[in-house]
Amino acid sequence: MSAEQAVVEPAGPAGPADTKTGAWPHRHLLDTDALTWPQVERVMDLADEMREIVERRRPRSDALKGVGVTNLFYEASTRTRVSFEVAAKHLSADVVNVSAGGSSIEKGESLLDTMRTLEALGARVLVIRHAVSGAPYLVAREFRGSVINAGDGRHAHPTQALLDLYTLRRHMPGGSLEGRKVVILGDVLHSRVARSNLWTLTAAGADVWVCGPATLLRGFEAWAAAGVGGARQFTVTSDVTAALRDADAVMALRLQQERMAAGLLPSVHEYAARFGLTTERLSLAAPGCLVMHPGPMNEGVEIAPDVANGPRSLITEQVAHGVPVRMAVLALCAGVAAG
Amino acid sequence: MNATATRLVPGEVGELADVELTAWALDPVAGRSGPAALVVRDGVLESIAWLDDARGVDDRGVIVAPGFLDLHGHLREPGNEAAETIATGLAAAAHGGFTAVCAMPNTTPPMDSAAAVRAALAAAAASGSPVRLLPIGAATAGRAGERLAPLGELVDAGAIGFSDDGAPIEATELLRNALAYAGMLGVPLIDHPEDPAQTGGAEAHDGLVATVLGLRGWPAAAEANAVARDIAILADVVRDVPTARLHLTHLSTADSLDHVRRAKSAGLPVTCDVTPHHLALTDEWIAGARRWAWAAIDEDGTARDPWRDGAIEAPSFDAALRVNPPLRSPVDARACRVALMDGTVDAIATDHAPHTEVDKAVEFGLAKPGIAGIETALGVLLEAVDAGELALDTVLRALTLGPARVLGAVVSGAGTPALVEGRPADVVVFDRSDRWTVEPMTLRSKGFGNPLDGRSLPGRVLGTIARGRIAYGDRERG
Repeated sequence: MSAEQAVVEPAGPAGPADTKTGAWPHRHLLDTDALTWPQVERVMDLADEMREIVERRRPRSDALKGVGVTNLFYEASTRTRVSFEVAAKHLSADVVNVSAGGSSIEKGESLLDTMRTLEALGARVLVIRHAVSGAPYLVAREFRGSVINAGDGRHAHPTQALLDLYTLRRHMPGGSLEGRKVVILGDVLHSRVARSNLWTLTAAGADVWVCGPATLLRGFEAWAAAGVGGARQFTVTSDVTAALRDADAVMALRLQQERMAAGLLPSVHEYAARFGLTTERLSLAAPGCLVMHPGPMNEGVEIAPDVANGPRSLITEQVAHGVPVRMAVLALCAGVAAG
Repeated sequence: MNATATRLVPGEVGELADVELTAWALDPVAGRSGPAALVVRDGVLESIAWLDDARGVDDRGVIVAPGFLDLHGHLREPGNEAAETIATGLAAAAHGGFTAVCAMPNTTPPMDSAAAVRAALAAAAASGSPVRLLPIGAATAGRAGERLAPLGELVDAGAIGFSDDGAPIEATELLRNALAYAGMLGVPLIDHPEDPAQTGGAEAHDGLVATVLGLRGWPAAAEANAVARDIAILADVVRDVPTARLHLTHLSTADSLDHVRRAKSAGLPVTCDVTPHHLALTDEWIAGARRWAWAAIDEDGTARDPWRDGAIEAPSFDAALRVNPPLRSPVDARACRVALMDGTVDAIATDHAPHTEVDKAVEFGLAKPGIAGIETALGVLLEAVDAGELALDTVLRALTLGPARVLGAVVSGAGTPALVEGRPADVVVFDRSDRWTVEPMTLRSKGFGNPLDGRSLPGRVLGTIARGRIAYGDRERG
């Protein structure tokens, strides 16, 4: 991807975005595959600064003052949409929320027409959630500002991957994932979170395992053989025991009811029994193994309630970190667009 | 350009052609190619003299061949004239070097009645283009796959074959009956092989690219399955109806071509075509790679990894690349080229499938499938020839004699693809060494979005003459 590679790093708006040096060439954030490792670290460092702002009694930066940020959500979302909204407001952006229900989208307006309308109404950053893989790429071809992918179909959820990485680094000694065993467990086939995490976690040097029922791993053995980015290896297995043994972190993925109807799984019950992240299974992992979930959870299905709410769970921390990480992404990309 | 070719196609579309040229000529019926001097006067091929002395004429410059015959085009009229009309479709065909186009029946309403066939032929006549429109009637009423269309009436009105293209004939018993009945009428049944149980919601070839991009996969097995079923039914039908003929269109996978190869060696009356895009493009284009299929595969036959190679250069998810069957792996594309060279594949058909901006400038998975490729077919194929992947003679035969044989006796009277003196000229003249750039301005089709947009291709068509009349003449060089 990345048609925007030729864009030159501009001065950027006043605010925390200026406090770090280093090239940030991306006007859009469509997936983590476009990011070099130094660029990922740039997001991490800036997110640290943003977190300091967030933790103030009155969290405010003027980084995006007067910048129109529109959240365009074609799929239902609570945490991601609110997280982007809070992040943009902390940066003093003018935030508008559009959801598919109750808009002209329901009347059949095309995605590009909706984009042009929102652009005419002042949107300079478009945060898009869409059920069709690749939809934000279509918008990015024509939109003059920045497009931030907030989840497209099964394809990508780059800010989730970045906040997952941010969260993991804060709990790893030395802040490094090098050689750490990270397991992505569940419905990998349909997961944009898994795909975006594969790029960042393998780039971070983690020993990544993806684990789930064979029907929900379709195609991943071939991807593992090819390597992420054509190089970085990961392991694919349906053997939960092997996957969890000595793991340093486990990300459980949401299981949708549709998977049973589509004939991919016999039953929720069987899934929970064989692949659910339980305390017993977690005991196979390394002591202090971190537990994550992108939400929303089906407690008792892909993750047991005592694990989700247990001492190793970083799930609410993930949600909290979403705000500074998205502030960092918004500031960086909008800075390029402003230039 | 060759100086002796200056009197090439000087007139307007529809006028009788007057041409004198010396160029590399190819006659697939005679099985002959070499330097030749041609004279066309008042539309008639007055003389062709094969020259012993090459005089600097070779097969890398100006080439004259019988006009191309496309077995598979979607001209969209009636029902979707914003995407293409019969007039614009025929103009595009002529620009691509085609002098005859089979029109698929998936119009709105579908071409499943004699009146609809006559209307299409009338529109072609009214267009002023001398390019022949060859109607393919729907195999089943309304293309609904429930009962046979009025096949006899369709043939009487001018249909030259039957197909429910766009979809397979799913009901196996109906396929059997359609094959037998079409065989009785002396025309081929053309199937679009796809097992729909495996392709619901599919967006891209089920392979590495689809996995990485999170696109729903269209498995190669869904095509191989359908091809195997069709061949098994054909084997049964020919026992009763020896004239039954099955043509499988737009084959795209190694396995389905193997099925055809075996069926042909068993003597079954099956033919098939492949498209230029399945020969030359691959699924990695969806990820943003822009190299030809032959550059995406190692010598040992392993597909290369565009991410490892750093071959991703364009934005991902260009909806211009959404097509059915989908662009396949480099291994499948190579199998298509091999099958063309070894004779398993009879014809190259474009599956020219134009769509409007409304249907194409949308999310990848919501875009209508189809590539409007009738104008870029020759250039893409010549790229493969230049790369040493295909032989020029094989390509030109697969655009002329190959498809004529698929259609059989029906069109042979109208236009055998041979350079025969005393008959109305039906030829294409192109310059293999002259490149042109694919842009909306250079294309006659109304179709929105071409995956080759901005790319230069070899083989500028200088002139196309159909039935003795000018169908296309290059303004700069004609």
